[in-house]
Amino acid sequence: MIRAPETGRPRSPAALFGRHRERLPAEPEDYRGPTYYGQPALKPSPWTWEVATYMFLAGLGGSAQILATAADLLGGPGARSVVRHGRYLAVASSVLGAPLLISDLKTPGRWYNMLRIFRPTSPMSIGSYILTTFGGASALAAAGQVLADRAGGRDHSMLARVAQIPAALAGAGMSTYTAALLSATSTPLWAAEPRLLAARFACSAMATGAAALSLAEQSDGGPANSRTLDQVALAATAAELAISVASDRRQRERGVGRPLRQGGWGAAHMLGAIGLGAGLPLACYGLNLVRRRRSRALSVAASLAVLAGGMIMRHAVLHAGQRSAELPGEYFRLTRSAGR
Amino acid sequence: MTAVHPRALEYVDSELDGVIPDESELTAGTRIEPGKSYGFFTDTTLCIGCKACEVACKEWNALPADDMRLTGMSYDNTGGLGANTWRHVAFIEQISRNGERATEMTPFQSNWLMMSDVCKHCGNAPCLEACPTGAIFRTEFDTVVVQQDICNGCGYCVPACPFSVVEVSLIDGKAHKCTLCYDRMKGGLEPACAKACPTDSIQFGELSDLQERAERRVDQLHGQGAASAYLYGAPGGPGATGGLERLHAFFLLTDEPEVYNLPEAPSRPANRVAPSLASGLATIAGLGLAAAALLAFAGRDER
Repeated sequence: MIRAPETGRPRSPAALFGRHRERLPAEPEDYRGPTYYGQPALKPSPWTWEVATYMFLAGLGGSAQILATAADLLGGPGARSVVRHGRYLAVASSVLGAPLLISDLKTPGRWYNMLRIFRPTSPMSIGSYILTTFGGASALAAAGQVLADRAGGRDHSMLARVAQIPAALAGAGMSTYTAALLSATSTPLWAAEPRLLAARFACSAMATGAAALSLAEQSDGGPANSRTLDQVALAATAAELAISVASDRRQRERGVGRPLRQGGWGAAHMLGAIGLGAGLPLACYGLNLVRRRRSRALSVAASLAVLAGGMIMRHAVLHAGQRSAELPGEYFRLTRSAGR
Repeated sequence: MTAVHPRALEYVDSELDGVIPDESELTAGTRIEPGKSYGFFTDTTLCIGCKACEVACKEWNALPADDMRLTGMSYDNTGGLGANTWRHVAFIEQISRNGERATEMTPFQSNWLMMSDVCKHCGNAPCLEACPTGAIFRTEFDTVVVQQDICNGCGYCVPACPFSVVEVSLIDGKAHKCTLCYDRMKGGLEPACAKACPTDSIQFGELSDLQERAERRVDQLHGQGAASAYLYGAPGGPGATGGLERLHAFFLLTDEPEVYNLPEAPSRPANRVAPSLASGLATIAGLGLAAAALLAFAGRDER
């Protein structure tokens, strides 16, 4: 029986001749059983920064569409600018996101094969149709918005009002399906806690959507709207922080997710996703709640921090997950029956 | 071992100008017919580590060579399965067990474990279930194959696989793995690795036949004192857990699965789709309702 340290020797030729892999220090819950010379027992996904960036944009745009639709249906006349910004943000996110996904394909010329079949067991297949629906409906809603803008803002275009409903429903899918995409794999970090990961992605989506819209309001003269949106972002960020604490605890208990706690991506996650993405904005929003006069600077700083944190979180989860696939102990801890 | 298949007598002179019809009947004792389930039974107690399977696979499938260096970790210089390597012989030299030195260990096959690893052609194949293009499909022989003219290199099958088998080649940008010699099976030929195996460690056949044969082999080994022998990937056993149901390529092992770099209880990734979507959509619904309430409240103030 071989009890080798987790050296995680790189396998593929690219990895062999390429980057140096850092060794992660051991933890008390680490796997102590046999491995095959410490060799990886799984292959990491071949996805690059494009996929992480898309996951950020999908969440941001999807939630922005939800907020725009809610503002249109329930908000007062002052919320019209939220509706307009939300519709434009939603269509911009799909216009930017789809090419990112296509450029991550290793045979991008065949991107249209994504719509060749529908496979309900594959979140990537589900997501292809969510993105298609979202992109199409958001484009119609944005077109309706353009017509309304041309008419001087008084006219409510029927086109946008009808198209925003399917767009917002697909936006809910856009905000969360990327977590299912990660969890429906064998990669230990992503597969360990599917429910918590999805809840975290949903919170981050809503927080980034609200933060982006708040920034738009700040630059377009709607401080009252910005205040409401900051409250949404505050709620979503607080929920995200609570979920990330819970998910960190569960991962430690199950002996997975070491690359999200240690090394370069661990630091990025702790400082970028938690500190910058949750700690700083919560402090800023909190200060703005207790101050007699809301500070525009605090609102802008918090929004920017939420956006940066959401982006760093997607990249950290993607890359730390890929690293966890290369550590046999992470996988074997998860796949060993109880009592062994 | 001297028994000759009656049909072999029809071909006593080896001067043939074509393929022998249903040749697998002679070489593997099974006729290949669409609609039946086929697979591999790899008996690791018979493996001598000759790597004839690796070579036969590379030759038949015209797979390019990969990293030609020595790994420096063991006698295993192949490393693992990948886009260009569809059979991989693992070499495990047992130099100690639970603190025992090699000289104190119960002698069994010189304390060498060798195992020819391959795509498991899972009953519920995670790669197939992940594939969004339909490039990965289930054949008429109940095996799992990637169609190279459909695959767009999205790479989702790679992290989906619980056994580190399928890989996207950076040479052509498509996913590749063992086809269980789909082309040979169509022509009535036994898969190349099984045919080349000199010790019958790799046995090809109908899955139900193989499972029966494997059970008998485990009983025989237990009778001979090798109590550690067990099946990996047979229905209900280790490897065929978490909704994978059964592995069409299954193994007889004599040590813990992890020793061979195999997970004891892998699970089917598709099982995680519904919990993830339900949790995510519930969270976004909750946040959406909260946002709607805040927007409505702010709107009421204005009016």
